[in-house]
Amino acid sequence: MKKAVCFLLVLFFINFVFAQSSVLKIGQPAPAISLPAPNGDIQTLSSLKDKLVLIDFWATWCAPCVKEQSELKALYTKHINQVKAEKFEILGVSLDKSKDNWRKSIKHLKIDWIQVSDLMFWKSPVAKEYGIEDLPFNVLVNEQGNIVAINLHGKALEDFVGKYLMKSL
Amino acid sequence: MRHTIFLISLLFICCSGVSAQQATELWTSNQLLEPATLASNITKGETKNLLIVSVGPDATIKGSVEMGPAHDEANLKRLEIYLKNVSKDKEVVIYCGCCPFAKCPNIRPAFKLLTDMGFKNAKLLSLPKNIKADWLDKNYPTND
Repeated sequence: MKKAVCFLLVLFFINFVFAQSSVLKIGQPAPAISLPAPNGDIQTLSSLKDKLVLIDFWATWCAPCVKEQSELKALYTKHINQVKAEKFEILGVSLDKSKDNWRKSIKHLKIDWIQVSDLMFWKSPVAKEYGIEDLPFNVLVNEQGNIVAINLHGKALEDFVGKYLMKSL
Repeated sequence: MRHTIFLISLLFICCSGVSAQQATELWTSNQLLEPATLASNITKGETKNLLIVSVGPDATIKGSVEMGPAHDEANLKRLEIYLKNVSKDKEVVIYCGCCPFAKCPNIRPAFKLLTDMGFKNAKLLSLPKNIKADWLDKNYPTND
């Protein structure tokens, strides 16, 4: 009985933590992304192969996402040598609707990693392909384009990226 | 047994945190409008004495007007000016849906404004998760 209660409670928390995407699985290839950058140029996920890529799904209207950008900035700065060595990159995918808000926020938040958006809000096909239920949401993709982690934030994200890049040295 | 007590305590703490938060909100449970009720009213065309206002990122809901995210002072002022021409007896339903209620920066300033302006039928649309999960995924009527 005791074990059954523990099992159910653990199941409850696991379900709560991983409830944000029922589509993605670790080890599977990440769905293709091909979207415009703020200057209109098309940027693809496949062009970032041979790197660890953190795909950050966010929007300027999502307060927790905006708050997280400073943490991503710190992560990017911490691993800037790996970025320069083409071992690590962040791909910000915005579910914004207003191009003006999106561009202003990129400037205001001093985001210097790659940003793309089709400005289609929740109707963006990429949101469906990645099974996103809530923002912020992220996926880590390895050099072969396969998913290695789903929806890590804060210390868990920092530790994962740090350990992964250390291993690949 | 100790693990069981620990896990149950953890669950209890999480749940009590949520309840405590609800108790201190600006709205009462009677002022929360269920999405299914609003969707049904829109579908039946029963919106004559109803004003639906988006105070978030998008006027997703059919017939709603967009005032922009209410955490921005300029948008809140815009909402105030817009509401000056609205009868205080009208049922005014605000919604955001950017993120879970606890994290939403828009619903509280907008709801406070409605209350301060004396709207007797101020309502908040209950979108506890977001506009996607609680409206779009249920195929409720939208503006496009």
